[in-house]
Amino acid sequence: MLVRRRHLLSGAAAIAVAPQAARAQVKPRVTFISQWSSGSDGAAISGLGKRLEEEGGIWQHSPVPGFTTEMMNKLRADIIAGNPPAASQLKGPEIAVWSKIAPTVNLDPLVAAANYETLIPSELIGLHKPQGHWIALPMQVYRTTTLFMSRPAMKKVGADKAPKTWAEFNALATEMKKAGITPVANGGIRWDDGMKLEIALSGINCESYRAALMKLDPKALKSAEMLQAFAQLRKFADWMDPAIAAQHYSVNLPKFLKGEMGMLMMGGWAQGVIKNLGGNLDDVLITSVPQDEGKPVFVLNADSMIFWARKEADLTAGQQLLAKLMMQKDVQEKYSQTTGSIPVRTDVDLSGPAWTDGQREASAVLNESFKSKRVLLSLAHNMAQTNPITAAMIDVLTEYVHNDKVTPEQGVARLAAAVDTARG
Amino acid sequence: MRRRLADYLPLVVIWLPLLISVGHVVGFTAWTTWLSFTPSDLLPEYDWAGLRSYRSVLRTENTEVAYINLVIYGVGFVGLTTIVGFVLAVLIDQRIRAENLLRTIYLYPLAVSFVVTGTAWGWLFNPGLGIQKFVRSLGWSDFRFDWITDRDFAIYTIVFAAVWHAAGFAMALFLAGLRSIDPDLAKAAQIDGAGPVRYYLRIAAPGIAPIAISVLVILLQFAIKTFDLVRAMTGGGPGIATMLPAVVVYDFMFQRGQLGRGSAAAVLLLLSLLLVLLPYYAYAQWRARKERARG
Repeated sequence: MLVRRRHLLSGAAAIAVAPQAARAQVKPRVTFISQWSSGSDGAAISGLGKRLEEEGGIWQHSPVPGFTTEMMNKLRADIIAGNPPAASQLKGPEIAVWSKIAPTVNLDPLVAAANYETLIPSELIGLHKPQGHWIALPMQVYRTTTLFMSRPAMKKVGADKAPKTWAEFNALATEMKKAGITPVANGGIRWDDGMKLEIALSGINCESYRAALMKLDPKALKSAEMLQAFAQLRKFADWMDPAIAAQHYSVNLPKFLKGEMGMLMMGGWAQGVIKNLGGNLDDVLITSVPQDEGKPVFVLNADSMIFWARKEADLTAGQQLLAKLMMQKDVQEKYSQTTGSIPVRTDVDLSGPAWTDGQREASAVLNESFKSKRVLLSLAHNMAQTNPITAAMIDVLTEYVHNDKVTPEQGVARLAAAVDTARG
Repeated sequence: MRRRLADYLPLVVIWLPLLISVGHVVGFTAWTTWLSFTPSDLLPEYDWAGLRSYRSVLRTENTEVAYINLVIYGVGFVGLTTIVGFVLAVLIDQRIRAENLLRTIYLYPLAVSFVVTGTAWGWLFNPGLGIQKFVRSLGWSDFRFDWITDRDFAIYTIVFAAVWHAAGFAMALFLAGLRSIDPDLAKAAQIDGAGPVRYYLRIAAPGIAPIAISVLVILLQFAIKTFDLVRAMTGGGPGIATMLPAVVVYDFMFQRGQLGRGSAAAVLLLLSLLLVLLPYYAYAQWRARKERARG
């Protein structure tokens, strides 16, 4: 590797010492890159920037719109040029991978001072302190296994409650299909297809998911539960809107709200998107996707920021200020209320009018799953595996969704083979 | 002194840019080739990893699909563009009125970038937005045209959009060729009683054969490096059905942060380009020798 551990640590130490001396003279400044340029994400990050400015800082955000990977290309170019931003968007296992190519900031003292480790789900802690030190902070949490049901569509088939098991789900979808409703509202982009497998598998068996998709256990990748999940994925595929080609799922939201499409399986962020489109959340029933084990499970996706080591006094001061703000309750509340996510801290009270029922439900499930150790990390949203492995797996899943000649057995075998190739 | 400068100036003017551009092309090609034998991921690394990257690139299904698609797309695109271009050129060659206007219209798609072509045709082919919806709204409610969402047919929509894009270009070259044929030849053929079909197939077509070869080669290298069209039109989907080798390279390099594998895929792409260029080179040599023999 290019950067030795020694350098990493010395860089981190310099950061820890510098700000106290410097704060008196300089205005804390944060340079930041992310993909969040518009919509609710853009509004939320601008809100955080404004808050930083209120505290006397300077906020310099350069958004790189588009896919996360385009932001990462910019980040890589900045790092190679020796000019990384003070902080950048980065998430999941990629934090560990990227922390090896450039020095990062040690946030341990700040995290300890806020007593933060006791307040957030333990699945998140390891991801953000890959070499034993906090170098990144999560800013919001989403559940990827959220079921949005169109109330107008439910009314058409006379359904009054959400399905609790896959059998109920399949029966309802069949009803909807008969009534001329497209049962599954979906998008045509790769991660959308990949996400459907994680929804099916987590809803069939929590521990199979952990072993297969998080630990890549070869036996679990070929287990009976996996086969069952692929069979369910085939059903989803048959119920999807055949007319959507390479488009975002939000293209279908108007039809979904009108009841021409029945069920949307998506992350909690869809709430923010529906609101942004001018849709009425009263037309939507928000709950968890079916769970055959009958116990709650929470497939987690989190957005995070990583802090890159800089020598400039104003930037190091800015990093300290930003990190401190990000751990604060009020900052997290505001952020999540803007995007429709739930706060990282588990001690936030979501009963106020600024929160939606969907957020309250997700938060309750998170707390329960947290206690029963049934929190999982999302595959399709780059939380479970590094980018190359995730991409290779999603190749298989998206091909499977669009090619009904591939049987579930073949799907399982191909996924296991793709994991092998990507790791080798 | 003054004479010397005048002597050297042309050399400097020609050689300096040439050296820089050759240095760039050869230098970066060599660098990419080197990287393809290293275990580079996010950043370049210079340890030896042998054929590891090649093995893993060749084992992914994307690569297989991409090269099958390249054959379908290459043959379809080059063949159709040549035929359509030639037919258009012949039609325009009839000394018709408004020739300039028509020529401009046919050439116009070339002025549009592949990204715009891809986006626009992506919408037109989309069954929920484009042609299918339009025809259905006219009353044929069972009309189906959903190739772009059908993994077995999606690649042909790409072929279609690419032909639309490049046919005008082929037409322009063919037209220039047709116009360069000695008008006396046409008159002689007419006097001998050859109809227009016979004239174009027997006399004009052989006369512009060298241009046809150039058109084929230009189109083929277009086909092999096609990237933006697919990216804008289908994103490689549905599933991985419209992957092309250049998309695979981009995927590895910039989407997955696997520089080694991306480089290996790029080298494979270069080799496939050589597959086209070497026969052309051999053909050109053969022709030159034949001409020389004829004296």
